[in-house]
Amino acid sequence: MRGAGDLPRDDYFTEAIEIVEAIGRDLIALDRGVRQSGRADVEIVNGLFRGVHTLRGIAGLFGPSPTTEISRSLEDVLERVRLGRAPVDDALIDVLFRAVDVYGRVLAAERVGAPPPHDDLDDLLQRLEASAAPVTPPGGPYDLDPGLLAVLTEYEEHRLRANVEDGKALLRLRIELDLASLDVAIEELKARAKGRAEVLTYLPTGAGSAEDAIELDVLLASSEPMIELARSFEDLGGELAPLPRRADAGGADPNVLLPADAQASGGVIGPVGAAAPSRSTAGERQELARDGEAPRSIGQTVRVDLRKLEGLMSAVGELGLVRSALSRLTLRLRAEVPGSPIGSDLARLERSFDRHLGTIREGLLDVRMVPLEQVFERLLRVVRQIGRDAGKQVNLVITGGETEVDKLIVESLSDPLLHLLRNSVDHGIEPASDREAVGKPAVGTVAVNAFQNGNHVVVEVEDDGRGIDVDRLLAAATSRGLVTPGEIETSSRRDLLGLVFLPGATTRSDVSELSGRGVGMDIVKTNIAKLGGVIDLASVPGIGTKITITVPTTLAIVKALIVRVRAETFAMLIANVDEALIVNAQEARRVDGCEVVGVRGRSVPVCRLSELLEIGGPEAEDAQARGRVHLVVVSIGAQRLGFAVDGIAGERDVVVKPLGPSLREVRGFAGATELDDRRVALVLDTPALVAEYFATIGAVPAAAEVAAGG
Amino acid sequence: MADRGHRREPEIALRRPRDDGPRGEVLVFALAGELHAAAVREIREILRPPPLTRVPRAPTGVLGVVSVRGRLVTVVDPRRALGLDAPAPTGRSRIVLVETDDGEVVGVYVDEVRRVDRLAEGDIEPPAASLGSDVAPHVTGIARPKRPGATGSDARPPAIVLVDLVALIGAARKGA
Repeated sequence: MRGAGDLPRDDYFTEAIEIVEAIGRDLIALDRGVRQSGRADVEIVNGLFRGVHTLRGIAGLFGPSPTTEISRSLEDVLERVRLGRAPVDDALIDVLFRAVDVYGRVLAAERVGAPPPHDDLDDLLQRLEASAAPVTPPGGPYDLDPGLLAVLTEYEEHRLRANVEDGKALLRLRIELDLASLDVAIEELKARAKGRAEVLTYLPTGAGSAEDAIELDVLLASSEPMIELARSFEDLGGELAPLPRRADAGGADPNVLLPADAQASGGVIGPVGAAAPSRSTAGERQELARDGEAPRSIGQTVRVDLRKLEGLMSAVGELGLVRSALSRLTLRLRAEVPGSPIGSDLARLERSFDRHLGTIREGLLDVRMVPLEQVFERLLRVVRQIGRDAGKQVNLVITGGETEVDKLIVESLSDPLLHLLRNSVDHGIEPASDREAVGKPAVGTVAVNAFQNGNHVVVEVEDDGRGIDVDRLLAAATSRGLVTPGEIETSSRRDLLGLVFLPGATTRSDVSELSGRGVGMDIVKTNIAKLGGVIDLASVPGIGTKITITVPTTLAIVKALIVRVRAETFAMLIANVDEALIVNAQEARRVDGCEVVGVRGRSVPVCRLSELLEIGGPEAEDAQARGRVHLVVVSIGAQRLGFAVDGIAGERDVVVKPLGPSLREVRGFAGATELDDRRVALVLDTPALVAEYFATIGAVPAAAEVAAGG
Repeated sequence: MADRGHRREPEIALRRPRDDGPRGEVLVFALAGELHAAAVREIREILRPPPLTRVPRAPTGVLGVVSVRGRLVTVVDPRRALGLDAPAPTGRSRIVLVETDDGEVVGVYVDEVRRVDRLAEGDIEPPAASLGSDVAPHVTGIARPKRPGATGSDARPPAIVLVDLVALIGAARKGA
């Protein structure tokens, strides 16, 4: 056990949050198990208990707190579940989920020194208390041999009963073990039994052929044929025998645990006085609880602060600059002293340097990757809650949780996904009666599917709800002046659906508490675009809606287009760029006060970056002389825009770093990156600039613009 | 990364010139031909200016961003906030790195770094006494250090404007 001195507060919070997340995961598994088999998986319950217990332990190091208080109540509840005294039903699982939420809020408050959320806390503690209230054990009084029952721990007793109720056969394995290696041998026994039989308890018989050996009776419960089971213990020298059931009891009811003759001979499973170790100490119980847990490689992993990784990433970036300098020197040397052996040695070294640098960079990127599961698990919890609040039955199906994405992206995906799921449950899925009326299953389905596609990860959120009502969407958009009837005439259905992503467009008249305030999809779109990602939407009335998000797997290194605007250099994330081309300045037309050029038969509005960013200075001479404009066409959601720049300096892998808090108020930049010559280039926040452009020219939706011009 | 939080303590003599604190070490620097000084304890590092990238739309007090060993640092121009003329870059320009109250490291562009000086409490006049009541909060005093052994015309050296760099940065990045 570690003392408080070994566990700084920051570490405590990190660890506590991890434990709470693990508890959340266990709960989801428990919930799933209960739904599928109607039974609580004992290992999961044990895992939950351990998690809460550990949390209470580490929180206790800092004195009593809401966290210890919740943990204590939760332990009581889980203890009852472990002992089979509280049924694992929906109500209980709900309370447990609520506990996970409150833990999160309490920890967040504690971390910043804010007062804990008292209302939530009191409410939870009351619910927990109610759940821990005594429940009459099912099945009535139990009549196993009282001598045996007296030495069983509560937990062992419960497991024994549960196994018998399940119709498992009880078996006795009598085995002589070396005292010196007793622990190892017992672990071996448990390992062999795992998955086929449950070790309920083991007790010394009091007999034994040698002084340094001990004979044990191991009580097993199993549904496997005894012969099969016997084989796996054969080489240990064990002797397996069934425990006969009392004839008059019939069936699987084990009224008598032990055969009469065994009782007479004394060589039975049962108390043997001083030789039996105390079976009810807390330590012993914990060990039993741990039984059956796969060995976890705790010693093999370290927890690393992301900032430390950022530091390493920066250092690798610096090394990249060193490499470029080295490469220039090598070239110079080879040019100045042709045929020099030093030159070729250097070139060889450079290649080797390059290779290792690449390995380090990949390794670092790999370390940052975490499975999407992390965010999906949170979603499961929330969807459950939303469904309940909205009075809808929703089944959330998740696939591809193992897909790995950069930790930062996983975090940034959480809110947008949450929003999409809320929309699906709240707007998409119809009430059960409506669904049944149109022949759909009463329980709605929301599917989240993730998979990797090259350097990108695709996340699909699909529901089998009512779909987006395009007419209502158009009515809302028209009334807000987002689109004109004429534009609607000439736009494709897909373009019109894109209106959902414009600020102010909403399709539901009854604004619910959950969503539908008309501020949703535009924010989702912006957040996804900030990650260098794109979002797409398809919807069929009455069938459902599918939203596809595509984001890069890592933010740390991204491809960027380097552009020149006057004397300044900027980077634009390739993910947002459709194409870069040169157009003739004369081709530009003025339509409704904005400049438009035709690109492959479709017209695209043009935004001069120098004007938008108010960058003065002379235009690059070559471009001016030829009357040509470099155009970088980007599309964000349904909007397409061509940024006119003075030059394009190629494509580069860049590491985007955030601007300091001093520049937080400055809009239009997603960060900055260092180029080879040590110069810093600002990275344009393309989505924000596009939004800004359309806002300034009077909110003409690009979709309609494109259609009208094409 | 080492915790630098302890480096900024509230009880810096220069920031409260009337306190009976210990005498403070100050960095004396030139801005538009006038001498200024700031507590050495406020300063993390002094750099030769790396290539500076202008940030469009930034407040006028912000000159741009530079990379300091891979970290982005915002650089401010303190002149406006001090009512001085526009910069005249010289080969002796330096960037003084200061950690602000919110933990950000910000660069302050100065024309020249002169020396580190020790100021006695007695050398410092409160700003109101010498400059009148209309003084920005980032000016904490005026110093006329008496140099040991100085006589004659040297007895009254040029005044040094004492500034609170953190407050000055605050003013500069707000657009002043």
